[in-house]
Amino acid sequence: MNILTLFIFIPALFGFLILALPDGLKQTFKYITLTATLIQLALGIYLYLNFKTGAEFAGINHEQQFQFVQKLPWISLNMGNAGRMQVDYFVGVDGISVLMLVMTAVVMVIAVLASWEIKQNLKGFFALFLMLDMAVAGVFCALDFFLFYLFYELMLLPLYFLIGMWGGVRREYAAIKFFLYTLFGSVFMLLIMVGLYLSVTDPGTGNHTFNLISMMNPANYTQGSVFSLASHQTLFGVPARVLGFVVIFIAFAIKVPVVPLHTWLPDAHVEAPTPVSIILAGVLLKVGGYGIIRICMGIFPEVAVSGAFWIGLLGVISIIYGALNALAQRDLKRLIAYSSVSHMGFVLLGLASLTAEGVSGAMMQMVSHGFLSSMLFFLVGIIYDRVHDRDIYNFRGLATTMPQYTTFVMIAFFASLGLPGFSAFVAEAFTLAGTFKSDLVPHWMAVCGSIGILLSAAYFLWTLQRMFFGKELLKGGDAWKQALTGLKIREKLALFPLAVLALALGVMPSLVFGKINDSVLALIEFTKHMVR
Amino acid sequence: MPQLLPNISAQLNSVTDGLSMFRPELCLGVLFLLVMACDLVYLNNRGRASRMLTCAGLLLVLVANWGEYIETDDNVLFLFNNNLILHHSNIVLKMLIDAAAFAIVLFYPWDDQLRKHGKGLGDAYTIITASVLGLHVMVMSATLLTIFLSIEMVSIASYLLVAYRTESGFSAEAGLKYVLFGMAASAVMLYGISLFYGLSGTLNLFDAGLITHLQQADSAMVMLAVILILAGIGFKLSVVPLHFWVPDVYQGAATPVTAYLSTLPKIAGFGLLVTFLTPFIADLSWEQVDFVTVLSVAGIITMIAGNFAAIWQQNVKRLLAYSGIGHTGFALMAVVTFSAQGIKALNFYLAVYAVANLGALMLASYFANTMKAENLDDYKGLGFKYPVASVCFVILLISLTGIPVSAGFNAKVIVFSAVYEVYQQGHNVMLLALLVTGAVTTVVSLFYYIKIPLYLFLKKQETEGREYPSYKKLLVMVVVLSAIVVLLGIFPDLLANLM
Repeated sequence: MNILTLFIFIPALFGFLILALPDGLKQTFKYITLTATLIQLALGIYLYLNFKTGAEFAGINHEQQFQFVQKLPWISLNMGNAGRMQVDYFVGVDGISVLMLVMTAVVMVIAVLASWEIKQNLKGFFALFLMLDMAVAGVFCALDFFLFYLFYELMLLPLYFLIGMWGGVRREYAAIKFFLYTLFGSVFMLLIMVGLYLSVTDPGTGNHTFNLISMMNPANYTQGSVFSLASHQTLFGVPARVLGFVVIFIAFAIKVPVVPLHTWLPDAHVEAPTPVSIILAGVLLKVGGYGIIRICMGIFPEVAVSGAFWIGLLGVISIIYGALNALAQRDLKRLIAYSSVSHMGFVLLGLASLTAEGVSGAMMQMVSHGFLSSMLFFLVGIIYDRVHDRDIYNFRGLATTMPQYTTFVMIAFFASLGLPGFSAFVAEAFTLAGTFKSDLVPHWMAVCGSIGILLSAAYFLWTLQRMFFGKELLKGGDAWKQALTGLKIREKLALFPLAVLALALGVMPSLVFGKINDSVLALIEFTKHMVR
Repeated sequence: MPQLLPNISAQLNSVTDGLSMFRPELCLGVLFLLVMACDLVYLNNRGRASRMLTCAGLLLVLVANWGEYIETDDNVLFLFNNNLILHHSNIVLKMLIDAAAFAIVLFYPWDDQLRKHGKGLGDAYTIITASVLGLHVMVMSATLLTIFLSIEMVSIASYLLVAYRTESGFSAEAGLKYVLFGMAASAVMLYGISLFYGLSGTLNLFDAGLITHLQQADSAMVMLAVILILAGIGFKLSVVPLHFWVPDVYQGAATPVTAYLSTLPKIAGFGLLVTFLTPFIADLSWEQVDFVTVLSVAGIITMIAGNFAAIWQQNVKRLLAYSGIGHTGFALMAVVTFSAQGIKALNFYLAVYAVANLGALMLASYFANTMKAENLDDYKGLGFKYPVASVCFVILLISLTGIPVSAGFNAKVIVFSAVYEVYQQGHNVMLLALLVTGAVTTVVSLFYYIKIPLYLFLKKQETEGREYPSYKKLLVMVVVLSAIVVLLGIFPDLLANLM
């Protein structure tokens, strides 16, 4: 049995188990889900440890360099003169995806630990949770565009219900907004996907193929096809490949999210229950970043180079605009949601630079933000659980009431604002270094990125001061004081590893860089080669 | 008369030869008589015997069609002096019609409104059987005469079915509307046919001289004749602007009749449309009427009007009616390709649409039976009360929207790729516009389809409604249909390779 296949379908298996069990056992559902995610974590650690590095395992555009590959023929449709429609179940990982998988496994465990607060309709919640888990794992493993798209869309429905059924007051609005935004992006991606499929043939069989890696090789494009590099076709007067890049980029930019396509995110984050916020911020935003690397830059590298300025610009706008918005928030969860927009901007900036430093920084930022945003949302969840309020101005001097909690908050805040020694510092430093070095994006963008870091320090420290320092003063008075108990074992179990990971990645960034380096170099090399 | 005499033997030969490939239709004819007789003999059991007989008979017809399917392979046969045409794609559509009719007949007494009908349902089965015969001929028509006769046969059966529940004012109103509009549409079509005959000098669409004669005629007249005929077919397909009858009739008719109207005549109508267009497309010198533009524009308008109008609907059946109009527009996209691949895509799309649409209407009936729920508002919080039915509803709606993993998604991908393929060869901007409209309306359709899960699961029930006994069998049927939808979502080749 292929390990990636196991990784993807273990959640589905446990999901069916939960559906099959009677409602009387509903107290066990969370343990069943926890078991599923722990098995996934074990598989993830195995993947991480056994992942081979070296130039011959770089992946990107070489099918044989991918690891843990499984390729099975899946759909074969007879399409008359157009040949056969060939879809493979094709999974595998390279340096870009393996870390995403490991991070996903960690975040999923944390999210389950945060699900203890869910009290109603447990069967539905955990079944949908596991379905979402499966879809996310599938997205990071899929190397066939059709399979990728299937998993990509499969994330939407469970998320819609998770936000809509267990969310806050405006949950219906937030859920439908999220769904429509994402579908709007992905339906157009579907059109490009079909166009690419009809442009590319598998050199082995001569059939049209959805194979992502075949799509990266210009030699596989049929002469005169819409997306062929040589034929310079136009769609609606726009060069076809530019249009293809833009459409797919928009689909993933909605997911990342990039300003101005970000407006679904604050709503979704604020209304979603804590575990779903954790998954949203920790994993789903990375699907966008991952998609931009694997699909936008992989398939349309020459457009990525020529459009680097605009991508970088969007990144900078996200950084600054997200940070300024975060400064203006009263709701702690909304603040963190906007800080996510700001931090994900660095990913875009790093990718736009198309240098080894910049892309590595972007990858690091994704991993680091995965852990840190999970931690931040978990922390917000703790306080919301206890008093059902998270308005910054309703709390004061929490440090005296909840010292342990405050410690974790400080770790998370300082790590997020880029204090040296923590993961985000490494990520942002590399991103900015790459931006300075790059010929594709101007230097002022790097300066703006630094300003973004400054702003993030401002809103995090200001929040720390407003909520945790000073004389103890709570809106709810003594009732709140009673409710704000210390951390439970379960909560410590979730927070501690995240804090350790943030520190470990800051001190030993080679934990990440060691695994991704070959792939990043191969990606840069591939892009340069394509442009020449 | 004397000069016709030598031809008689040849004509008779053609008739007797044709009979062997006319087996499914002969079966249907016999079945029609049997069901009618059975209904007369077993008057007291309210049509139960007729129903069983009809179901068994339809399965037999399906098998007979399967035999034809294998026998015909890739050949094209003309039967009865070129009056009927038989080929692979036609037979596929006929089998689709049989299978859908089978499901509808099963569904018939599971709807409370029809079940309580005073007259019993025996007559309805007789009418359905006759209409299936009409639908078969409609799909196989190769002359304008058979086209008109078969359409009328189907129409009259449909009128009767819509107006079946005479005691309900709503149903009677729907029936009357349908009859009036239907008659007008038929008259328009007949006028178009007479013009067409006058201009071309032949009733046979596959006559060698057809195109040359039409090319010599006044092109404005030809245009008029063709448009009038297309209007007649478009009425059956509910193409905008000929869709105005759809919402009222779908809502007013009993739900199984809605299921009938939204699938069977539509499938046959598409078959007919393709047959009618074939001679014009096959002749490359034809340029009087630009069918690509005409049908593309109709498709785009239909997709937009159907999907946007559905957003404001509160009644579930009315919502599904408008969404059905949107689906017609999408299927027209597949017709516009005029390629073998496009026809395959069309057939697959129709099959998947039929499955999901039947399932959704069955669920509408299920909730109407158990909770008297007909509007979205009545669906509030029912998801927790009827989890199985509600989850199936979500699956079927996902398929109708075209989101993976569902049969509807695969159908959409196949249609998109068929259109793209043709675009790549001809670079016709119309096709690109169709693709974009198809994508945009998918998002729009999500907006209203998701309303049903929204009311089922996200809203809380305010008042405890009265509960009525539910129909287990109906639920089983819906689960089977949902399972088919998911199965075809994962393995579309199971069905698509047969198309």
